Amino acid sequence: MASVAQPAGHAGPATQTVARPATKKNIGFWSWITTVDHKRIGLLYGITAFAYLLIGGIEALVIRSQLIAPNNDLVSLEKYNQFFTMHGTTMIFLAVMPLSSAFFNFIIPLQIGARDVAFPRLNAFSYWVFFFGGLILSLSWLANAAPNQGWYGYAPLTEKGFNIGRNVDFWALGLQVLGIASIAASLNFIITILNMRAPGMTLMRMPLFTWTTLITSILIVMAFPAITIALALLSFDRFAGTSFYIPYIYDEATRQVVARGGDPLLWQHLFWIFGHPEVYILILPAFGIVSEIIPVFSRKPLFGYAVMVYATATIAFLGFGVWVHHMFTTGLGPTPNAVFAASTMLIAVPTGVKILNWTSTMWGGQLNFTTPMLFSTALVSQFVIGGISGVMHGSPPIDSQHNDSYFVVAHFHYVLFGGSIFALLAGTYYWFPKFSGRMLDERLGKWHFWVTFAAFNITFFPMHFLGLEGMPRRYGTYGEGSGLQLWHVVSSVGSYLLGFSFLIFMYNVAVSLQRGKKAGNDPWDGATLEWTIPSPPPVYNFATVPVVRHRDPLWEEKYAKYEGEGHAEEETLETTIAGIKIGEGQVPDEDALEQAERRAAADDEHNIHLPNPSYWPLVTALGVFLAAFGLIFSYPRIPIGALDLPLYTAAGLLVLVAGVYGWSLEPAS
Amino acid sequence: MATAVELERAHGAGHGDDHGHADHPPTSTGLDHRKLLMWAFLASDCMFFGSLIATYMIYRGRAEDLGFAPFPSEILDIPYTSLSAFVLLMSSLTMVLALAAIQKGDHRGLRIWLAATALLGAIFLGGQYFEFTEFYHEGLSLQTNMFGASFFVLTGFHGAHVTIGVIWLLTLLFLSLRGGVKQEDSLDVELAGLYWHFVDIVWIVIFTLVYLIPYDEVTETQTGAFTYLAGILRGVASIF
Repeated sequence: MASVAQPAGHAGPATQTVARPATKKNIGFWSWITTVDHKRIGLLYGITAFAYLLIGGIEALVIRSQLIAPNNDLVSLEKYNQFFTMHGTTMIFLAVMPLSSAFFNFIIPLQIGARDVAFPRLNAFSYWVFFFGGLILSLSWLANAAPNQGWYGYAPLTEKGFNIGRNVDFWALGLQVLGIASIAASLNFIITILNMRAPGMTLMRMPLFTWTTLITSILIVMAFPAITIALALLSFDRFAGTSFYIPYIYDEATRQVVARGGDPLLWQHLFWIFGHPEVYILILPAFGIVSEIIPVFSRKPLFGYAVMVYATATIAFLGFGVWVHHMFTTGLGPTPNAVFAASTMLIAVPTGVKILNWTSTMWGGQLNFTTPMLFSTALVSQFVIGGISGVMHGSPPIDSQHNDSYFVVAHFHYVLFGGSIFALLAGTYYWFPKFSGRMLDERLGKWHFWVTFAAFNITFFPMHFLGLEGMPRRYGTYGEGSGLQLWHVVSSVGSYLLGFSFLIFMYNVAVSLQRGKKAGNDPWDGATLEWTIPSPPPVYNFATVPVVRHRDPLWEEKYAKYEGEGHAEEETLETTIAGIKIGEGQVPDEDALEQAERRAAADDEHNIHLPNPSYWPLVTALGVFLAAFGLIFSYPRIPIGALDLPLYTAAGLLVLVAGVYGWSLEPAS
Repeated sequence: MATAVELERAHGAGHGDDHGHADHPPTSTGLDHRKLLMWAFLASDCMFFGSLIATYMIYRGRAEDLGFAPFPSEILDIPYTSLSAFVLLMSSLTMVLALAAIQKGDHRGLRIWLAATALLGAIFLGGQYFEFTEFYHEGLSLQTNMFGASFFVLTGFHGAHVTIGVIWLLTLLFLSLRGGVKQEDSLDVELAGLYWHFVDIVWIVIFTLVYLIPYDEVTETQTGAFTYLAGILRGVASIF
């Protein structure tokens, strides 16, 4: 048998030699509620997150409509605060992160040749906690108390003295719950990638998307604790009367200002120690997606694979050492500003390496500009624009001019929309055949791309000018005769066009699901393992566990016989920079791989073992939700001993404990 | 990576999902999924405690600076807490003995040492409860000053960890009494042990930074630009 289990081109389950595992009812509402299948969880993540992307988009359209005219009163300034806060929070935590999660869930086990993730029930738990976290944030609209303090929630604006309503509580508790989901999911993916690779898939043979998923997961696990603690301290300030972020209070009784000893800058430090790695949590999966797509449509292996891996790891590592560049104007002094300016500019080096590698991959390739390739190349160009304005902000004197202006808004939309969203759309077009079995329509796809690309630039490029002309970030109005209206109008018109582009996309998805071309196993002539199996994949993914002998296993499988014709190049496990060897991979033992192959073949004699569906992840997640909900709606209360607990919190803790015990005592499979 | 030896070992160590089954596929690293998960979780937990300890270090001495009594130097009872720290550290020894017992198939030994570990943990928690009550009566609460806030939150967070650990140990003890912990399930005990030792190690750090280092050395108001960074670095470095 060749190095991958199922040669491409063979259609569907006909090639499977095993009895299909007994699947009871596997359609219907409850099967989705209790599912532990990574592919279904991936789809759930994708659908939920896309809904939030639309909500976040509508919030953005409200913002743009408010700013289309000077002194506009479409929404009140108080509501405007809620719209921009929820736009940022929704897009970051409820749209881009979970959309990346959708790809992690669906694609990673397929790329590494696994039948599921390491902890299927933990995976379901992550989804449900994410779902409930999003619900908490969304409920704030119904309670007429949407968060109103900006997505990075600077103290003391978040403190009771300045923000008496429940707005901040919804935000703090919602993010706290979402953090649990992110950490649980990331732990799962770290273990899955480290431990469930197919035989022969060494670390340096993993597809680049798998690498960026691993590194992103490590970032989440190490960065989220900082915001968890920051939010916990904020909640203590709001619920328990501490003053972690409160320097002074006004004492009504004595009519005097009294020192409390807290420090609002502590919030900024803790928040940005999380917040800067968060930027890479949003962009690294996008880089991974693009690194999968560009080689396939350039008909060349990725240029400088090993350096690409090291660059990803370097970006992640440096990402923990640059947070003060968000705080240049807080007056920390010249020394910290200089140190963090240097570390910030240093990050441009590995990022530039990536840009170079993508262009070098395309250089001399047989370029095929399908929709995924168009979105990927657009990422490369648009991210460079956002990246360069990022380097400008890395300089403290320039930053103090740009800080809190629309120039910054332009910058992070170029990296988040021009980077993350473009890549997520590219990934959707690229993997949609694998999700659904059908291709997205290419003609509509190209329309979608060009409208998105144009609208994106019309919306966000003028924001550079607005910023330099003095338009401050987060202002819901501007004066007549300020000279700002022209670019605001251009930007707003662009945003409507951008909204329209998503209608094209949704139309494309709806039409293609019904009438799209059948995809087959491998519609793009791909290089990685997910293209060796049917589309959509069977519930067990791989009938036979594949054995990997090359970095691009499917290309090796398909093209090794044409050796010398330039396709599957000889894999080198040495890493060189400018001709100097800097690393050497370990060549796996051929005997061991043959043993693994024999073992995989022997495995087929038995039925494939699949985890059972389970209610417990949902129950446990429901407990988390109730506990958090009780802290926001703190009445009615019930006294338990010396404690006076909110009813919902007490009930939630009980459900949580029941869920954990039910879960750990239930057999996994 | 995948040398012959490692692939073979991986096949031998084929414990899979939440409960080990012999027919699960081998793992790429040769380590059990759950063990790797626990290590990764503890790395994350380091960052939780790191953030809290950094917060404590930043506000350390601020009660004296502002003259808000009670001060840590007059309220902390080092001999008393040394005793409860000693109790907690000894529980790591009994935890090791519990794991050693089940690995040898000694179920009686497992139960004795699990019970002993849970009991020592419970004594530590009782000591903490008494200490908190005592401080409260001496006028230190969450709201009193920055020392009260950061002290109670940090040590309370650690206490919550110990509480979860005690419940976990008691659950294992209960399962063992019903015959649910077999010799080949020793990983169940090992995971609880990893968590327990981690919580003990964190207490060594907290005990040193909160109790042992004298407070009168930090009298000057720390307003320097690097205070935060230094505090955070000290906090993080202290974990390792």
